[in-house]
Parts: sequence; structure tokens; C-alpha cells
Amino acid sequence: MSAEHDPAQRVAIGISFGNSYSSIAFTTAEGKAEVIANEDGERQIPSILSYVEGEELHGGQAKSQLVRNAKNTVAYFRDFLGQEFKSIDPTPCHQSAHPVQHESTIAFKIRDTAEDKENEVTVSEITTRHLKRLRSSASNYLGKDVNAAVITVPTNFSNAQKEALNKAAKEAGIEVLQFISEPVAAVLAYDARPEAKMADKIIVVADLGGARSDVAVIASRGGIYTVLATVHDYEVTGLKLDQVLMDHFAKEFLKKHKSAGDPRENDRALAKLRLECEAVKKALSIGTSANFSVESLVGGIDFTATINRTRYDLLGNKLFAAFVRLVTHAVEKAELDPLDISEVIIAGGNANTPKVASALGAAFPESTTILAPSTSATAINPSELSVRGAAIQASLVQEFELEDIEQSTHPMVTVTPHLSHAVGVLCISGEESSGIFHPIIDAETPLPVRRIAIIATPKEGGDVLIKLAEGSRHIKVTKPEPKPKKKSEDDEDDSDEDESDEEEELREKTWKVGKVLSEAAIKGIKKGGKVEVQINIAADLGVNAIFREVGGKGGVRGIIQPPKATQNGSA
Amino acid sequence: PVLPQGWAADRDFKPIGHLSDANDRNIEPVGPHFLAHARRKRHKRTFSEDDRI
Repeated sequence: MSAEHDPAQRVAIGISFGNSYSSIAFTTAEGKAEVIANEDGERQIPSILSYVEGEELHGGQAKSQLVRNAKNTVAYFRDFLGQEFKSIDPTPCHQSAHPVQHESTIAFKIRDTAEDKENEVTVSEITTRHLKRLRSSASNYLGKDVNAAVITVPTNFSNAQKEALNKAAKEAGIEVLQFISEPVAAVLAYDARPEAKMADKIIVVADLGGARSDVAVIASRGGIYTVLATVHDYEVTGLKLDQVLMDHFAKEFLKKHKSAGDPRENDRALAKLRLECEAVKKALSIGTSANFSVESLVGGIDFTATINRTRYDLLGNKLFAAFVRLVTHAVEKAELDPLDISEVIIAGGNANTPKVASALGAAFPESTTILAPSTSATAINPSELSVRGAAIQASLVQEFELEDIEQSTHPMVTVTPHLSHAVGVLCISGEESSGIFHPIIDAETPLPVRRIAIIATPKEGGDVLIKLAEGSRHIKVTKPEPKPKKKSEDDEDDSDEDESDEEEELREKTWKVGKVLSEAAIKGIKKGGKVEVQINIAADLGVNAIFREVGGKGGVRGIIQPPKATQNGSA
Repeated sequence: PVLPQGWAADRDFKPIGHLSDANDRNIEPVGPHFLAHARRKRHKRTFSEDDRI
């Protein structure tokens, strides 16, 4: 795979295009993703365009125009792309230019030229202008003309939306190499770090954005990702968190200045309040207290106040709890238990809020890693996750022909069977019936797959029987009172001590042995010897297993026929 | 488990059952491991053949 494949020198970046913020990133020669700041030094670039006397403002500059020039400022337009007017929810645009119906699509009526007349600008044209600005920021930074990108989209983005985005990007001079979904990009951003270890795990990506929240449950198997369930919500959002602060400060203001009006009832005061509250929210993610101050909020009165984090946590409590419910709902939707989740990646700007991480941490067992800046020193900035993932993917595919990418993404993806049960071996135990199931390949692993595991054998050595079986995971719930120890099968009761004084019931993962697939005998194993088990499962469900004593020769190999014949040769 | 008395099989291996049916799911076309998977699939290679290259 060399660069000669490429006809016109491609310079590809990753773009994360959100309703509230967008960002751009590239991958360095060393394979590290770097987020690019625009000319104003913003890495989180507000997805906002504003027009003043024909001049186009973008990002933070456009955002500040929401106060004095709201009508000619376009914001929160990403989710309108490729949509019909009837199906959109224009609520977030209430403070800026309102969307209107324009033929089969959506447009904004804005004064975008120096002339004194309003033009209808379609949402795809707005998107094109926005992407052009992002592209030029990236080009300026890299000193090269950026002409291709991998763009992240939500998991429920329809094909029509993708097509519309693709068209808008083309207009902006960007060749879209691939659309990848936001949660998967976030996982990739973590897995691409050099210190990351590939493991089979179930990951929850919880994205608390500005205008929407998305949760995805993803099975990561040897670095291949499968989305098991997704949940989307447009009620539990960062904007609602801003609203909580706005209400708080508006009430404080009214207490002090009874005669002045409610700042929420005046458009300009409301816009000022909104901008400042978002800033306060951000400050509270870093510090334990923040200052709120707006000049001439309403009736020419300046207003300053402070708030500490505890207060904010209390005010936002309902929303944080709702977000946790959203996440646990997604886990249920995937037919899993919190005990099955090994990592929770918190993404989106609002993930910087420490309370979000601690609330989620409480909903999952201690074995689950919560990846957020406040809970993990190695966490990546949650706002940059998806754009980093996109930049990494861009660097992986930029040498490919577009046709190649298309071919290897579509038919490939859909026809992959996933194991319905875990496959493993029964280990050490005297009786045949109560062998401990030791999973080697987890359920939901895409096929074909190859895994190798080392298992212990009875201490005294000798001849052993290795049973290959399917297993399913069960959650064993034990009431704390009787403190039972039923069978020898609890091998993870290390957490007993801390939990015994609480009134909570004890939940743990156990394995139930399902269908036995095969038996194999390995004779004359040394004392304390170990057995290496290698299992190959082909896409047709044929199994090729090799059992060998570690350090020994030969070993036993066997083939379990699939419903049809297998041809998986192993050397 | 310890080998029970009198257990015997052809070349010490006895297949008993088949795997249960698999679920068809979409894998995400993202990341280096997917690209490796796609490469194997397009060239119809197995893991060990792929390793040798």
C-alpha cells in the first residue's frame, strides 16, 4: 500500500461536525493525532456562521454575534441536513436565524451580502460554507491544501443525510473518504494510543453533547468493533444544563433587582445570559467555583455573581441522573448487565463535568473503567475523541482509491457472523459435571476468529481431558444476609469485604456451560504443566482446535465440522 | 478434568456437538484491525496465510 495508488496527492484530515461544535485534526508522521486550532486559537470551533454587512464570521466570532445580530446568525444546523422540514425540531435555533421550508429542503433567511435584502440560504449551502472555513483553517495550519477528509456522523444518521453531507463537502472542495460513526471514532481514538492494549471488551460510549446525547454499546474484539445497541436522546443535553444555570442566575438577578425585568424575557439579555452560562459551566469543569458576570444584562444593570461546583451539581442533579438512566438503558438494550461493561468512554463537551463521570461511575461496578478527565489520568479530552478517531482513520485510508474504500466497507461489513455464545474450555475440577468454564472466545466475536489461551491442568499432572464447550454468562445475585458460599464456582469474590457492610445485594458474573463441542485427551502431562489451546473458528462455524502442552511436542488437533464442510487450514 | 478411565477416541479427539447458530451483525469499517480483516476477506486468506505475508 504505497502512495503511488493515489492519483492526485491527497491531504486528508479528520473532521468532527457537530450541531454545537466542530473540530479538525490530522495525523502526524509518527501516527499521532493532533487537533488543529483555527485562526482564533479554538480547537472546539462553534458550528456557527454569522453575517455582518456582507462579511462572514465563523466559529467563536459568529457565536458572539448571537447577542446583537441573532437574525443573521445560523447555528445548530447539522441535524437539518438531508431532512424534510416537517421532521426537524427547530427549538435550538430559537435564539438565532429560524429554519424555513425551501422546496424539499430547509433554508435560513439571512442577510448574507452587503445589500439590504434577505436571501434564502439552504442548509447544505450553509454546511458547505462552514466546511470551507474548516478546510481553510486546516490548510493554513498544515501549509498544504487539504482536499479529503473522514467525517464523523451519529449512528442514526440516515443515508439521505450522509448523501447531503457528502454533497455539501464536495462543494467545499473536500472529498469524503468515509463517514464513520462518532462513538466508534471515540473508541478508535483510545485504541490507537501506543499504550493501549488490544483486548476483547465491551465498551459504552456516552456522548453528552449540546443539542443531543448519544449512547452506544460497542463490542471490541481484537480491535474490530461491532455496535450492539444505541440510544439517542434530544432532551438530556448540554443546552439543558446551560438552562439550569440560566434559571439560577436569572432568579438571583431578580432577587437583587426587583424592578428590572426578567432577563429571560428579553431576547438580547437571554442571549447574553446563555453565552455567559455556557462559559460558567466550562469554568466549573475545571475549577470548584466560577464567576458569572454580564455587563448591562437588562435595564442597563451589570450583574455579577459566583457559583460553586457543589451548587451546580445540585442544580443539575436531575439531568445527570437522567443521563445515567440513558446509559443504563443502552446497556439493557444490548441485553447486557453493567458487570459486562469493561469501559465507559465519556465523550462530548459536557463530559468535562466531573459530576457526569462520578454519577456514571456509581452506576457501574468497580471493575468498569470510566474514561473521563476527572476519573482517569490517561483520559483523552472528551471533546476531541471523535475528531482524533476520524484523523486516524483518515491516515489509514487516504492511500486507498475511493472505490476500494467503498467496496471493502459495504458488502464486507454486513455479512459477518458473530458468535452467539462464548466458546471456552472446562478447566480443573475433579468431577466432569462441575468443571469451571474458562471462556476463550467471547460471545459477539465476529468470525473468522483465532484465539490462543494457556490453561492450567491438575497439579498432579497425568492424563487430562479437555472439553471444548459453549458457555453463557449469568448474573448471580446473592443476598447479603446469609453470606452464602454455595459452590466452588465463585472465583471472583475479592470484592466481598467492602460490600458486606452495605445493604446491597451482591451481583457477580458466572458462567453456565452450554453445549459441549468436543473432548480431547492429552496424556502424560508433567506436574504443574500447562496446556495451550488454540481455537480457530471459520465464518461457516467450523472449528479447528489444537491442544498442546506448553513446551511439549505434537499435541492433539481436531476439527469440528460446521453444518457444512470447513476448509480452514492451519499450519 | 482428569481423563476418565476407558476414554478413547480416534487420534485422541472426539467431536461431540456443533456451534450454535451465529448472529449476523454489522462490524464497523474502522481501524487497522478492520482493514486487515477486509484484506483477508477480499483475498480469501486465512489467518496463518496472512501471517506469512
